[in-house]
Amino acid sequence: MSIKLTTQAYCKMLLHAAKYPHCAVNGLLVAEKQKEKKKDSHSTPILCVDCIPLFHGTLALAPMLEVALTLIDTWCKENKYVIAGYYQANERTKDFRPNQVAEKVGARIAENFSEAAMIMVDSTRFTMGCYEPILAIYDHHENKWKCRDCNADCFEDWCEAQKITSALLEGRSYESLIDFDNHLDDLRNDWTNPEINKSVLHLC
Amino acid sequence: MSIDHVLMFRLTLYWNIKTVLFLLCPVWIIYEQVMIAALDCSRDDLAWTCLQELKRQFPGSQRVKRLAGMRLEALEKYEDASKQYDSILQDDPTNTAARKRKISILKAQGKSVEAIRELNEYLEQFVGDQEAWHELSELYINEHDYGKAAFCLEELMMTNPHNHLYCEQYAEVKYTQGGLENLELSRKYFAQALKLNNRNMRALFGLYMSASHIAASPKVNATVKKANVKYAAWATNQINRAYQVRYASSKRNEMDSTFQGDD
Repeated sequence: MSIKLTTQAYCKMLLHAAKYPHCAVNGLLVAEKQKEKKKDSHSTPILCVDCIPLFHGTLALAPMLEVALTLIDTWCKENKYVIAGYYQANERTKDFRPNQVAEKVGARIAENFSEAAMIMVDSTRFTMGCYEPILAIYDHHENKWKCRDCNADCFEDWCEAQKITSALLEGRSYESLIDFDNHLDDLRNDWTNPEINKSVLHLC
Repeated sequence: MSIDHVLMFRLTLYWNIKTVLFLLCPVWIIYEQVMIAALDCSRDDLAWTCLQELKRQFPGSQRVKRLAGMRLEALEKYEDASKQYDSILQDDPTNTAARKRKISILKAQGKSVEAIRELNEYLEQFVGDQEAWHELSELYINEHDYGKAAFCLEELMMTNPHNHLYCEQYAEVKYTQGGLENLELSRKYFAQALKLNNRNMRALFGLYMSASHIAASPKVNATVKKANVKYAAWATNQINRAYQVRYASSKRNEMDSTFQGDD
């Protein structure tokens, strides 16, 4: 029961972290809703097709997080997605262990989606070239989060993800990335980031 | 404008000004700002150049010493930076900038408990420092000590009664603390934030969330429940209007289905 990331999901996660290097950032990962529940679910990993950046700065306050989860849940239902994961990058570069906020939100997501994953971004290895995956993926087993090694197998296509993420970072696309905080500041800001999705598709 | 843009703009300005108005213009403030922006962008070469110019112009200045300390912090040489600030404080124990930088070092090293302790001691002496109160509230929120975070925000609200952002953040802290009493307080402060700025979407959403939770609580009587259902309905209307005004109709349908379903 592992998850895999598409280029778009990985890109937007890293762009979010790059836009706010001085803040903690977090967000959600969404996967396509499986039509049939297969009994033997070990074979197909869950593919996280998109990422929705949520907040930057203070992550430990509840009200806006609840609003975001409600709105995004509705959007997911309309688009036949399901919230499959949560990512977080901590404020301090050297701090990449999940904290109480990450565990709580992860547990909440796991209540609705048993194969939910929690991803922590390791900012110490974050470079413009993106030569290696900088994530730590945590799976939920028996009420505990267990870390799994993240390598090229955790991506739908690591080479493509590496090239496109690097290109978008060089091109400073993170300046136009919208997270839920930006949406709350101005409702015209679209947290689905259609422009960045287009750029990713264009480079594919 | 991002930090990079500020840096480039200031650099261009600096080179132009330097050749013409060297003695007359307050170019040294620009040197200071460019240096701090350079530290933010990891441009140590540029930061060093600015620092040398400032040292030459203001030898023995405490302000320049503090900038030298900030450069050491950026290079993660925390012990050397701390010594620099200690030497400033030896000459001038009331130098608030140096004390705050020492607290920033603790924060950068992840020593939140020590940072909170030092910041509390600082605020006992410098009660009016709003930046410090806000920093302390953030440190408490990150430690999940919402009661103490609320206290810091109360200090800020007292000195800035018209600032809707402090009201709204206080309401968020109260909501997170939980419990019926805190939820009611949270609703009141979200309403106050809206009164101060009727375009604060966080306050509007917060009002809806807190009123809905109070109405759904089994501990409230019918009158309170009815009133909160009314507040939540009002907030829903305002939210829908806000989306109608600023958003495409496709998003409006999403909002309608989300909020009308809950009540």
